[in-house]
Amino acid sequence: MGLKAIARKNAIHAMLIYTGGCNGCDIEVVNAVYSPRYDIEQYRVLLTWNPREADVLIVTGCVTWQMVEPLKKIYSLIPEPKAVVAVGACAINGNVYKNMVGEIGVNEEIFAPVDNIIPVDAKVPGCAPRPEDILMGVVKVIPKLMEAP
Amino acid sequence: MSKKIIEKEISIGPVHPALIEPYRIRFFVNDEIVEDCEININMAYRGIERLLEGLPVEKALLITERICGICSNVHAWNSVRVVESGLKIEVPERANYIRVLINEIQRIASHLIFFGHAFEVIGHETFAYRSFLLREVFMDLMAYIGGNRVMPSVPVIGGIRPRADLTDTLKRVILERVNDFEKKYKEYVDRILADPMVMSRLTGVGYLSKEDAIRYHAVGPTCRASGVNYDVRTLMHEYKPFDFEVIVLTEGDNRARIVQRALEIFECLKIIRQVIKNLPEGPVVNRNWTIREMPFTTAYFEAFRGELMHSYALDSQGLIRNYKVRTPTPTNLAAMEKACIGDHITDAVVTIASCDPCLTCCTRIEVVESGKTKVMSDIEIVRKYGWRR
Repeated sequence: MGLKAIARKNAIHAMLIYTGGCNGCDIEVVNAVYSPRYDIEQYRVLLTWNPREADVLIVTGCVTWQMVEPLKKIYSLIPEPKAVVAVGACAINGNVYKNMVGEIGVNEEIFAPVDNIIPVDAKVPGCAPRPEDILMGVVKVIPKLMEAP
Repeated sequence: MSKKIIEKEISIGPVHPALIEPYRIRFFVNDEIVEDCEININMAYRGIERLLEGLPVEKALLITERICGICSNVHAWNSVRVVESGLKIEVPERANYIRVLINEIQRIASHLIFFGHAFEVIGHETFAYRSFLLREVFMDLMAYIGGNRVMPSVPVIGGIRPRADLTDTLKRVILERVNDFEKKYKEYVDRILADPMVMSRLTGVGYLSKEDAIRYHAVGPTCRASGVNYDVRTLMHEYKPFDFEVIVLTEGDNRARIVQRALEIFECLKIIRQVIKNLPEGPVVNRNWTIREMPFTTAYFEAFRGELMHSYALDSQGLIRNYKVRTPTPTNLAAMEKACIGDHITDAVVTIASCDPCLTCCTRIEVVESGKTKVMSDIEIVRKYGWRR
């Protein structure tokens, strides 16, 4: 393990971006970080709100059209190496907002699967996913950051 | 009054550390004193009312529960109450008690997340962590009763899901956890109220007078902390069997809004104890109903942030027509903007957080036609303009 990897391993910064949806996953992510029961900081993963210092981007919510451009912009601001975790059914396939519509037809407000917009490394399913699963999803992408040159 | 020109503008959002949800605030400042404030909320527009148009009413529960992830049970219950009151469907007494139980459990969880958010914005992270730890008790109870921590999906038309019925073991577990929680929670509240740093940051800041609260139509804890005695729970027949008090404070500042919620949690605990003590025997769901045509019906409900309205009609095939949702936060927005004015810019975000905004569910579309602004519901826009742009 090189010096870079050791340095990275001790301070992985995760950034949360919320792109619509219902707040449920969003609070579960915050819960996974802040609640002393789950405490993602024991794996040396810290929550940040600054894209310049982030390594992991956690995306929740079905991407509404106002949030497409901010999402792309924030992804481009994160320095390499970076990883993206899509949390919740909305971020993976659009959940009820995209797939259960009445007689109006296709819901054009939702740009749902996040991998249509930015590349995704790990997906955490569930509505809402449990905090344990979110921890697992974030911990699974750490090797990618370690192995990067 | 002559029109003042305010030169400096500070805008925050849509993605910002102080705001968990995407919204945009524009502060117009004069030497760090907020002169005017504008909140812009249309970032999370999903078109819920359009999705519900033409769905069978039994299926609509899946979407209405996902309007908001903090108050999921409120939306599910209120959408069921519309069709129950419109078609005169009887609800068994036991089902009503369990609906009230899960609602009060979620109300406590919502108020605790409010503490977490408010103290995180102030910068006192220890209180935020402790609040999240206390909240886990109620997330666990929701998982035991409904099977999911966030979306328990308890109410269905005519009662509750049979899976959410309370067994004797579950009753004992709930009582144990609640007693344990109350002891820890009392220590927590005493610690907050005794903290001179936090209290001096909150007291006298973000003042909203009683007249302003009435004038700007504040609802829920925001108006009750300003001295307005208004709680829809006192008018609902579902809450008739239970004995609880409406907490009204008169100070109207940030401290009052936090203390009001802190005291309301004790009333919720009182209701939970009454449910466990007086839970009647009998069936939990009434299946003897048929969906038929229903005129436009409205149901009001006290959500955790204030008054909530759901209303819709059913056509002859039992499909939903003209679903309308009015959540508490849009009516509170004007009060939030008013409460910020005249304070230091660093206190403004705390003031907005202390009104407990929940912006995912309140997004509306504004249509500007030749200079005139008009707020329309989703269905009207679809009828007039088609889907988008």
